[in-house]
Amino acid sequence: MEEKLLTITEAAEILGVSLDTLRRWDKNGKLVAIRKEGGVHRYYRQSDLDLFESDLIKIALDWTIEESELPSMFYCENSAVFQTRLVKMQNAMIKSGLSENILPLIIAVAGEIGNNSFDHNLGKWPDSPGVFFGFDVVKRQVVLADRGLGILSTLGRVRTELKTHTEAVKVAFTEIVSGRAPEERGNGLKFVRRVVAGNPVSLFFRSGDAELRLKKDNNELFITRSQINTRGCFAIIEY
Amino acid sequence: MRIELKKFGTTLISRQSGKEAFSAFQSTMALVKSDEVVEIDFNGVITFSPSWGDEFLTPLSNHFGDRLILLSTSNPSVKITVKLLEDINKRLFRNKT
Repeated sequence: MEEKLLTITEAAEILGVSLDTLRRWDKNGKLVAIRKEGGVHRYYRQSDLDLFESDLIKIALDWTIEESELPSMFYCENSAVFQTRLVKMQNAMIKSGLSENILPLIIAVAGEIGNNSFDHNLGKWPDSPGVFFGFDVVKRQVVLADRGLGILSTLGRVRTELKTHTEAVKVAFTEIVSGRAPEERGNGLKFVRRVVAGNPVSLFFRSGDAELRLKKDNNELFITRSQINTRGCFAIIEY
Repeated sequence: MRIELKKFGTTLISRQSGKEAFSAFQSTMALVKSDEVVEIDFNGVITFSPSWGDEFLTPLSNHFGDRLILLSTSNPSVKITVKLLEDINKRLFRNKT
């Protein structure tokens, strides 16, 4: 049986973006529409929308690098929305049967990374406030990103000797920063490292041109410099 | 006195909600006698994080000192958070097994 086609208005509602954005994505090939023979109207298959939404990394990167419009289902403009969606992820993970040995750790790790974005950028967002937050319980993947100031800029307020993104990311994940002023630091990324070091969880984290990889059941930190210089922070958690 | 953390929620994550929980607990805290032990019960909590813990457990520990006792739990997010808070504050919590 042929799949029912959705109108552009229906597709825009499902994805939570504007009609103009869908038209632009059709032109630039990001999400190509279907046209009936001889017709001018754009149509979409549900399966194409599902495929588009499943590429969490691409959607997050497009937002952080190119500031493309973010489907509303992934956008948490404030921490209240983020907390609500964390609980939604927790419920989805419980429903998927994820072990209680790992479930609280994934929620807490995502919570610490996402809350860091809000705690350190509140009132200082350079342009778009908030975070990208997407999860896939089948792929066992969580992706978080923000367009904030990044680790070097925020940690540099209490550790003025830090000069590069790689130094800043290393300190954020390894040293307990006791300075509470001028802003509170939660030491959440140390928690993230401890979780990964002792559990079947892996993390990719980028801030500025620094890329950090934490591998499951391994205490070692792998930090490299990237060709890409990302705004804010970008994280992929896999479990 | 026993504090059942699940009464503050089952997902104890953000710094902000930790602050709110501590603020809400102030009136009860005033009723604790000077020789009374305060037990923290994690039963029913699904997720616990350092941000929430630092806003709730750290000030309780500062206030009650050795009279604050953490009840045992198998929840891994509680265990890793408690150990991290101990390292940050350079002080061990008392535990009841």
